[in-house]
Amino acid sequence: MGLTIKAEKREAFGKNASRRLRKQGLVPAILYGEGRVGVPLILGKKDVFMILKSESGENTIFKVAFDSKTQDAMIKELQTDSSTDEILHVDLIQISMDKAIRVEVPFLLQGEPIGVKTEGGFVDFMTREVEIECLPRDIPEQIKVDISQLHLHQFLKIADIRPPEGVKFISDPAAVIVLISVPHAEEVAAKPAEEAEVVAEPKEPEVIKKERAEEQKEEE
Amino acid sequence: MLMPKKVKYRKSQRGRMRGKASRGASLSFGEYGLQALEPCWLTARQLEAGRITITRHMKRRGKLWVRAFPWKPVTKKPTEVRMGKGKGDPEFWVDVIRPGRVIYELEGVPEGVAKEAMRLAAHKLPIKTRFISREGRELR
Repeated sequence: MGLTIKAEKREAFGKNASRRLRKQGLVPAILYGEGRVGVPLILGKKDVFMILKSESGENTIFKVAFDSKTQDAMIKELQTDSSTDEILHVDLIQISMDKAIRVEVPFLLQGEPIGVKTEGGFVDFMTREVEIECLPRDIPEQIKVDISQLHLHQFLKIADIRPPEGVKFISDPAAVIVLISVPHAEEVAAKPAEEAEVVAEPKEPEVIKKERAEEQKEEE
Repeated sequence: MLMPKKVKYRKSQRGRMRGKASRGASLSFGEYGLQALEPCWLTARQLEAGRITITRHMKRRGKLWVRAFPWKPVTKKPTEVRMGKGKGDPEFWVDVIRPGRVIYELEGVPEGVAKEAMRLAAHKLPIKTRFISREGRELR
């Protein structure tokens, strides 16, 4: 909460200006929310890392100082380069501390399930994050899920987890968080069947257009 | 070998491989993944060879997702045929891979096993790749 980040208003736009900023160790950003027009900003890359490395990660609430104003904000979206993991742009959302907001919080699995220890299964972590609604000060860092009692083929749904106080789950309650699965059969057993399939497989797939043309002819 | 069951057109134009992957560029299912760092046409055979390598290395553990699918037909003219007389027949199927695309994802195995499986699979692919994990992601 005590984190304050200095930002500057951004005057130059477009990819050339943004690239120049990134070369200097800065990141283009925008601040919006609470019904106000978006304010383009420049942030320091080190400040963004500081937010991301804090315990609450992307859900950290901090203050942005620019133009002699200070506002509560949090990271809404991070744009990154898919192959180099470089931060390209940051979306900040302005928040008010007395209004409930929706954020995604990760699940933290605790314990080793019985199905893994003794029954030869593995943990299939299907839903890693849950969308919650709560006041900004109530945002939990993680939601702990105890999976130590799960046997093979057993699962936990979002509905099975009790949300922390002041927090409401928004995600589908029927969504499965964790399933103790059986690994696939070994490749060796599947191989002969696969080979047979390859032989029997037609060389070319069906062409949808042809089918339609034939149908039309039949209709005529 | 993977290929579409139905297609709208038998043959496709070559197209280009400019830019970076925007979709399919992050881990969506598993804990670990193999990410492409170069563009290429990844053939169904290469994809299958990589898949077999990974499943053999994992033995009876974990779960694998293949995130690429060879949807694009590549045509070829028969040998010793003069030019002209139209485009050749479809010969094999490829997926257009751009830098950043996650090709395989793994779950339910220790990191060491996943890393080795991906290393072996990477040898079957025609491009540079890197091993990625949810824990080890470091933004730059």
